[in-house]
Amino acid sequence: MLVKIAWRNLWRNKRRSVIVILSVTVGLIATILTDTLSMGFLAQMLNNQIRSSIAHIQIHKKGFNDNKTVQNSISNPQFVENEIKQVKGIEHYSVRVISYGLLSSATASSGIMIYGIIPEQEQFITDIKQSIVKGKYLGNGRHEIIIGTELAKKLGVGLGDKVVAMATALGGDIGSDVFRIVGLYKTFSSDFDKSTMFIPIQSAQTMLNLGNRVSEFAIIVNDTRQVDNIKRKLIDKLDGKYEVLTYKDLIPLLIMQLDLFKQSMLVFYFIIGLALIFGITNTMLMAVFERINEFGVLMAIGMKNSRIFSMIILEALFLGLVGTVFGMIAGMLIYWPLSYSGINLSMFSDSLSAWGTGNIIYPVLYMEGTLNALFIVPFISVIAAIYPAIKAIRLEPIYAIRYI
Amino acid sequence: MASELIRVENLEKIYQDNGVPVQALRGINLTVNKGEFLVIAGPSGSGKTTLLNLLGALDKPTVGKVFLENEDLSLKSKSELSSLRLNRMGFIFQAYNLIPVLTAMENIEFSMMLLGITEKERRKKALELMDELGIKELANKRPNEMSGGQQQRVAVARAMVNNPSIILADEPTANLDSTTGGLLLDLMQQMNKEKNITFIFSSHDKQVMDRAGRLIILKDGKIAE
Repeated sequence: MLVKIAWRNLWRNKRRSVIVILSVTVGLIATILTDTLSMGFLAQMLNNQIRSSIAHIQIHKKGFNDNKTVQNSISNPQFVENEIKQVKGIEHYSVRVISYGLLSSATASSGIMIYGIIPEQEQFITDIKQSIVKGKYLGNGRHEIIIGTELAKKLGVGLGDKVVAMATALGGDIGSDVFRIVGLYKTFSSDFDKSTMFIPIQSAQTMLNLGNRVSEFAIIVNDTRQVDNIKRKLIDKLDGKYEVLTYKDLIPLLIMQLDLFKQSMLVFYFIIGLALIFGITNTMLMAVFERINEFGVLMAIGMKNSRIFSMIILEALFLGLVGTVFGMIAGMLIYWPLSYSGINLSMFSDSLSAWGTGNIIYPVLYMEGTLNALFIVPFISVIAAIYPAIKAIRLEPIYAIRYI
Repeated sequence: MASELIRVENLEKIYQDNGVPVQALRGINLTVNKGEFLVIAGPSGSGKTTLLNLLGALDKPTVGKVFLENEDLSLKSKSELSSLRLNRMGFIFQAYNLIPVLTAMENIEFSMMLLGITEKERRKKALELMDELGIKELANKRPNEMSGGQQQRVAVARAMVNNPSIILADEPTANLDSTTGGLLLDLMQQMNKEKNITFIFSSHDKQVMDRAGRLIILKDGKIAE
């Protein structure tokens, strides 16, 4: 019956309750959209990094990650490849030769990261094939090269033009070769497009005198939640002789940003909550002051303070719950289509390119954020009602009954 | 010999009115027996409501003691007094004071809910009582859908439902016309006779005084006759 009274009391002053419920609803919609949009932004940053070159797991010779030279290449790639094939949960892998080098046209030069790849393997690891905007994806032609549009602009070259790549070879001498541009790509990151070139792995191995040595195995797993398990399995399989790194090890700053963001959302919730607390406290105080006489009667007929306290808390809880239900429904109705269509932020494309997110941000809902949104408002409502409830139970029945 | 229900000894009450002490009661001694139909009358400001509040354990005396069935109320905590009012007293107010969001039936059930009686039992008892008081047709009406007389009848039912030993009624007919007030008093008299419930009224309504089993007149905080 206490629940019934609390619920009905909520609607005694419909306009006031509706205003509070609306403020909760709007607050929740803002929270859901901010949360999902920011999560989408960060998830796209992470995913684009993974799909541009990093992959989920990389295997190198120990020390390669700190010193990316051909001297730190894997001399027995067949052994590593055989072990990779035995680990469950790996969807795709590709073999790479990687080195710092210089790419020159007739008019300009630029420091670059050379990627020697097997095009058939790499298309399942990165999005480079899908990012080709001019020409074609890398084939098996020995002198084929694909570069980013930004790098092409910088070097003043285009499709079909020749470029010369140079890098320190295995023996310490300079290895170089001439390549013809067969494709230009444009990824979400302008920095990546300015500094990376792809050539067939055999061409890289020849140019750098590597024989059959490779620098890296890049792996994509079926389920990213299993990435740490698969890392452990690979370390075991490879007897700990190789460097096995997940994307979390490779881009710790971004992972930290993601974690930091989740923490900072709590601050955001706190600020929204603080605003709501004052609104709900004010409403509940008004509700208490309007019913002083009624509380006096309830006390007179023997209702204990604990029950009066609970009744007021319940009223506030209902306010919060109704607001939460409406806020969640409205938030989801806005979020759902946006999660498919994305939000086009092309007006900020330069900044977004620097962040590597792409122009269209797809909001992402995550369980933790949803649960926070779901519980935080009712919790806040209860907190907000404590002071009005204390005011009510401190009333003296004799004074309250006479109150007009 | 009638058994004693309430005993009041040398009761004094001084309250502050805007910082000015006002002596509402000056040394009241009174005994109320079980089954009495007692009316405390007197002009406005004579202290009748103050006395009723002290008898109903809603207020504490400045000096003196109130005993309910030989229990000293001054020794009880706020929570104990609350339980005592719930279990052993019923209240009827001038302005009816039903809970506006509850129907007549729910208002009557409310006190039983506070006692932890099950919903089924509450409903049964409330219906029986409403039938007895002739207000069964009001069961699903909210206070704003009832007349003053109807609301006061529901208030009587609410006061009676926990089988109290005493019902305190503060000017119960003041907001009613004389016919409705008379009918209400008939009802309370009937309950007094049939169920031996003690009624104590504070009123200056003549028809209440006329029906009093015993009449006490207060004047300037003292019993005048």
